[in-house]
Amino acid sequence: MKHQSLHEGARPDPRSWSRPVTPRMPSLLVLACWAAVVVAEPLPQPHAPGIESPDYVWNAPNEEQLRALAHEADPVNGELAYAVCRGCHRADGAGRGDALYPQLAGQHATVLIKQMVDVRTGRRDNPKMHPFVAEWVVSTEDVADIAAYLASLPIPTNNLKGPGEQLAQGRILYERDCAICHGGQGEGDAEEFYPRVAGQHYSYLDQESRLIRDRGRRNANPEMVKAIAGYSDAEIAAVSDYLSRLPTDAQ
Amino acid sequence: MRSHSPFPIVLAVIGALAASAIPVSALSRGDPAIGETIAQQVCVACHAPDHRIPSPIPKTPVLAGQHEGYLVKQLRDYRDGKRSSGLMLGFLDGLEAEDFPHVAAYFASLPPGPGVVTDPSLLELGRELYLDGNPERGLPACAGCHGDEGEGSRRFPRLAGQNVDYTVEQMRRYATGERTNDRGLMQTVADRMDEQDILAVAQFVASLVGEDNEETASP
Repeated sequence: MKHQSLHEGARPDPRSWSRPVTPRMPSLLVLACWAAVVVAEPLPQPHAPGIESPDYVWNAPNEEQLRALAHEADPVNGELAYAVCRGCHRADGAGRGDALYPQLAGQHATVLIKQMVDVRTGRRDNPKMHPFVAEWVVSTEDVADIAAYLASLPIPTNNLKGPGEQLAQGRILYERDCAICHGGQGEGDAEEFYPRVAGQHYSYLDQESRLIRDRGRRNANPEMVKAIAGYSDAEIAAVSDYLSRLPTDAQ
Repeated sequence: MRSHSPFPIVLAVIGALAASAIPVSALSRGDPAIGETIAQQVCVACHAPDHRIPSPIPKTPVLAGQHEGYLVKQLRDYRDGKRSSGLMLGFLDGLEAEDFPHVAAYFASLPPGPGVVTDPSLLELGRELYLDGNPERGLPACAGCHGDEGEGSRRFPRLAGQNVDYTVEQMRRYATGERTNDRGLMQTVADRMDEQDILAVAQFVASLVGEDNEETASP
């Protein structure tokens, strides 16, 4: 067994790894080795056409989503794979109302899969989140497992609530325009990929609804854009507040 | 500068490809006793088995109690050129690929200890960032991956008790893109921290003890 001396002269030059040695040994292996060292920046989030595109179809079938949905989910692996999410969405999946990190615990697995795939493929812009859910970080199977794990968690009830001043108006609007898809109790619809909205953080509901109304959330359902196109900020806030207070224990 | 023949590189890459055909479990079932013999000859002069013995080389990590799977991966990455260190590359000449799991098992079996906090005034900021991150900058809590006590897991390294100068140096390398063998996660994290943040978190993780490394088996 050799033992390298610590003297300067015997020290291998770290730069030798990033030096282009390929002209002397034109091997693809060496080239790959060298490229692995000089790549410095993680790839940015890709961009896929969304609601701004004339031929946009909401929830159009795509290969990765179909594979994730078909995967027989393993919530135990999901808990392990969830580690990269936990730094923001918290160990109990409660997210943070003060930071616009949505509550994920108890959300439908289909919804979580769709949203993760949309961020991975760039239909939903989220450069903050993308580096942690990119395909080189979590596999398609991990996506499905994380979703199954989160769906199995109890829904925390200490989510951020709104000011509580326009709840009656919020209820009227919700039942008139939203409940047909998101359900009478805000329970959503797993089969239709409609998220559970009851008990979500007020701040997140408010922000995302405004973004959807203003066509800034590019993976939005055009039906929802239409449904709330005429809403004022105050009306969106009222509905968000109402939903943040809907009980989730029966769900 | 010493002239390097490309042949060792080619051999290393071929070796890497050959090794990658072996299941990870087979590679990481190490024997700590075999590992100790090897480590005594190759590793411990810099990576002391007792965390209280400082390394003669600055910015050298404490390995005692580190997860076996992580150590095996780092050794393979050094060998394959996916992680660079002028010093480590030389010492790897003294190791065979089949030694990696044994050496890793040896260090994983050693009791971890608390590190040395060099600036206690930064501990509070470090704790806040470590446990809560910084939502405005999209900085996740370090605890999410590395555990509330810095204990790490099968997937992420233990940070508890790590040397401040090593942690700071690695974060610098992530930020500059000199270290990239982590799927880009830590590069993103480093980009979202400033120097003060990094120093503070390094102080805080040095202060952590972490629970015992119950996981010494394969990843």
